[in-house]
Amino acid sequence: MSSMALRQRVNAALFLGPACLLLFFFFIAPVVVDVFVAFTDMGRTLRINELTTANFERMFTRDHRLGQTLVITFMYVLGTLAIFNVTFGLILALVTTQVPDRIGGFFRSVWLLPRMSPSVIYALLWAWVIDPNERGLLNQILMHTIGIGPVDLMNDHPLLLIIVANGFIGASMGMIIFTSAIRSIPQHLFYAAAADGAGRLAIVRHITLPAIRWPLSFITVYQTLSLLVSFEYIWLITDGGPFYDTTVYALYVYKRAFENGQYAYGAALALILVVIGIALALLMWRFFDMKRLLQEPRIEVH
Amino acid sequence: MKLRTLLAASALALAAVGVAAPVASAEEVVLKLWSRADRSGPLRAGNILAAAEQLNRMLEAAGSDVRVKIDLFENNAKGYDADALDLLKAFAVEKGPDLYVAAHEWIGAFVEAGYAWNLEEHIKNNPEFYSDMIPALWKAVEYKGQRYGIPQDTEVRMFFYNKDMLRKIGKSEEFIEGLPGMVERGEFTIYDLTDLAKEVVDAGVAKYGLVHRPNVGPDFQMVLASFGFDPYDEAKGKLQASRKALNAYFDWLKYSVDAGVIPSNMTSWSWDSVHAAFRTEQTAFLKHHGIWNVPPQMKARGYKSGEEYFQHIGWLHSPPAEKGGRPANLSHPIIYVVAPQSPHRELAAMLIALASQPYLNTRHAITTGHLPIKYSQLGLPEFRSEGWMLIAGAPMLKYTTFMPNHARVGQFNAIIYKGIQAVETGRLDPKSATDFVLDELAGEIGDEVIILD
Amino acid sequence: MAVEALVTPSGAERWNALAVRARRRRLLTDSLLVGFLVVVSLPIILPYFWMLTISVSAKTGGVESVVLWRACAVLVPAVVAFGLLRLFVEETRRLVLGALAIAAIAVAAVILLVGSDLHLQNYRFLWNPDIVAEIRGKATAEAQFPSVWIAFRNSLALAVTQTVLVLTVSTLAGYYLSRFQFPGRAGFLQGLLVLHAFPAMTLVIPIFLLMYWSGLLDTITGVILVIATLELPFSIFIMKGFFDAVPWDIEMSAMTDGASRRQAFFRVVLPQVRVGMLAVGVFAFIKGWEEYVFVRTLLFEKQNWVMSLYIFWVSEDIMGVDYGIVAAVAVFYILPSLLLYVFCQKFLVQMTLGGIKG
Repeated sequence: MSSMALRQRVNAALFLGPACLLLFFFFIAPVVVDVFVAFTDMGRTLRINELTTANFERMFTRDHRLGQTLVITFMYVLGTLAIFNVTFGLILALVTTQVPDRIGGFFRSVWLLPRMSPSVIYALLWAWVIDPNERGLLNQILMHTIGIGPVDLMNDHPLLLIIVANGFIGASMGMIIFTSAIRSIPQHLFYAAAADGAGRLAIVRHITLPAIRWPLSFITVYQTLSLLVSFEYIWLITDGGPFYDTTVYALYVYKRAFENGQYAYGAALALILVVIGIALALLMWRFFDMKRLLQEPRIEVH
Repeated sequence: MKLRTLLAASALALAAVGVAAPVASAEEVVLKLWSRADRSGPLRAGNILAAAEQLNRMLEAAGSDVRVKIDLFENNAKGYDADALDLLKAFAVEKGPDLYVAAHEWIGAFVEAGYAWNLEEHIKNNPEFYSDMIPALWKAVEYKGQRYGIPQDTEVRMFFYNKDMLRKIGKSEEFIEGLPGMVERGEFTIYDLTDLAKEVVDAGVAKYGLVHRPNVGPDFQMVLASFGFDPYDEAKGKLQASRKALNAYFDWLKYSVDAGVIPSNMTSWSWDSVHAAFRTEQTAFLKHHGIWNVPPQMKARGYKSGEEYFQHIGWLHSPPAEKGGRPANLSHPIIYVVAPQSPHRELAAMLIALASQPYLNTRHAITTGHLPIKYSQLGLPEFRSEGWMLIAGAPMLKYTTFMPNHARVGQFNAIIYKGIQAVETGRLDPKSATDFVLDELAGEIGDEVIILD
Repeated sequence: MAVEALVTPSGAERWNALAVRARRRRLLTDSLLVGFLVVVSLPIILPYFWMLTISVSAKTGGVESVVLWRACAVLVPAVVAFGLLRLFVEETRRLVLGALAIAAIAVAAVILLVGSDLHLQNYRFLWNPDIVAEIRGKATAEAQFPSVWIAFRNSLALAVTQTVLVLTVSTLAGYYLSRFQFPGRAGFLQGLLVLHAFPAMTLVIPIFLLMYWSGLLDTITGVILVIATLELPFSIFIMKGFFDAVPWDIEMSAMTDGASRRQAFFRVVLPQVRVGMLAVGVFAFIKGWEEYVFVRTLLFEKQNWVMSLYIFWVSEDIMGVDYGIVAAVAVFYILPSLLLYVFCQKFLVQMTLGGIKG
């Protein structure tokens, strides 16, 4: 092999090698392992005694919690996405770009705080805020300003609770993406529109919104996937909620495996989620023009 | 400081440390002990530590260089069921301890997985330690006829009732003092108890009628027993669940929640709140807990003696479901178990034997309000002077049972608890909850459980 | 027509009046918008501030809000006063004096109202590792929790090592993907995108098994590798984007001057993407610092605990929770993230993903 070809090979190994290695061992290999374990009988002793399809049989015929879990997951994803991640993220982006820059920047930073703080602390704060006694911050505010008695969010409206709690975190990502999209609209468009007599609202409708159509679809699809699979905050705040009320699919998988020791069954359940995840990701690629991301994926700091 | 001086000084310091390091010539045998951090019993693990110390003294007296060291791991699980799951997970990844403290009913699961050592030989070879053990307790450590653990203690559980509150709503002293007797004779049912609690709550004297544990545990089996629920089919060696009894129990639960006696979010309370509810004079009328809660109650309320205590608080079995029935009680021994894979398993067993000596065990029993395991303890002076509550609790053993040592009983309890949660929070009505529980039992435990009617 | 109107004196006055009216209207709408932002941001600001006040005032271990409301009663008018000051005062000197005056009054008021309630006792877990010993007897207290400094050290090791790993791997990979054409490049990028969106959490079970079978279970190393890898798709994409923005000429001139590819990379190109590396580094560090799910699943021994596990168990009511201590631990835990975030937020808030040009 010529020295240049050798050097090229070495370069490839040096630059791309570590990434490939890590990605293989911790993304590809686990998927393979998951497929394998899903067809075994691995229980809490972590020993494999036989290969079997009993897990899938159980999933489709005998597991009566599964349907409820799927419904809850659907409502949770839809609710969080529609109310917070997309809508409120958009509102925040619009509002913070309308007010003077420093103030807008300050509020964007505030809304990024939940995402930046450790999840355990965020969950702890929520637990204190929704405490059903008078000690809870929410109850204090409600009782002293509006006069409603102490509410018990965790018990009475657990789904609402997790939607709001996850929503605060989710809104921040949409906010950032939409903000940067708005900022990259050339200024002269705004001046031209203002000179033509357009009011603020009209400007938003005709110039700002069209510019964020693509980020909107990107966020929608991306956040759907991410919500489908996230369970960390739900686990910490409600632990699956009173009874099974906030047990989303991903949390159900985790609990089956690590709390009941049914590893093989959990792997089977996870496999379904993996398949859905890959399918959705490929759909995203096909229908939402993700090629754009490929050609000019750029980070610009203004 | 010049670099060279700095380096020289560091070198000297390191050398000094190296020389001053303790001469590790003695041989140290390290045993890992796993115990759940039990706020009601620090001596559960503490007695093993004391036993190790005793052994070390004997070794020193014998002129040996060997010392035993206990590496204590305290698990922060919410209850013994969660702790058992953690323990099983740790064993599965080969991070298990040499010996551990566990709740007795999990012994089946541990044996089936191969994590509990058969102690029959050990017990037979050490009559000095075990011959005066109260025989009934051996049943708690038996699995398929063989003994796999040593009992550490046992207790009785009860509904604590607040006598002052009854006085406030105008009940006579005769009634108040006679309540336990009425329960025993089957004249006062569990529904009557709810109604009584309702009276107290409605009068504004108490905020809650009845508080119980907010997580999985044996307490619920006790109340289920009042409804005739028997979790074990001895002949077939399988678990069983009676639809009728379960439904009746859930009916009573719903009745109590609807009456405002049991708070609907009881299962999401913290242990802190549960204890706090019975600590002050006004909050809860009844508390379903156990005798080991007496010392903290006395400390919180400032009672100095048994007489003072019984002036204000009384104890009830779980009343029968119908008039003329039998009350129910439950004892839940905690046991020591040895891991068979441990290279020091004989030593571990001997340490347990030492830790079970009457003196040490009585210290645990008295300070934490548990019942003793050996006849010889009953004669100890501390027992007579300070064991008033244990002496008072002993007669309640008449109606007690143990939970079965079946390998799947942990899961059994967990599923029933989910049903309880569903009924109390109003998610499911009693009939649906019964269907749910039986369905889950069949699905999870399969043919190890028999569903009756 | 209109132009002539402009030129006449009365025309100019009318123009001025219009300008003033427009400014006032803008001020009004801006104020409304700011008001809206304040209201929706309160649910975020208030709990964090509450946590801080609890940590410096809770005595009986309960969760109180008296200090919070009193502090707010002082701070809210102070902030409003400061806002009005900024609005109406132009001159710098008077601005600074005014700000100082407000600050002084606020501090004095706070000290007056709540000063007597403040104490640092809740922070004693920092120097007293046996916080449980005072509540319970000695026999079991030592094994209850490790010292917070062990958890801190582990968290730091985890976060820093993981950051270095992510930075190194993603920078190298990003450069290669940006500059070189190789068979399968498109597929690789597409795969990265899929992985970026991929639900990594679903792999907890097989990762747990893989760690167990490879002996990496209950080691910080294992956790580092897992978390670093999960950060990779995102980081590689960011780095690639930054490399894409660096013009090819710089490298070319360096290589024509005799440098090898790798030397060109290190000496010339790398300094150009400093900002991207900063962004990646900050994200990676914060992720490592806050990680919970994987550490909860993969770590067992108390000596391996990280801060997230430490605070989780301290807040579980096994021995009777002292919420003052929990709040103090929380403040201690969040401080590094907060500091990092405050210093680097200018970059984080203004990042884009996908340059959209109309």
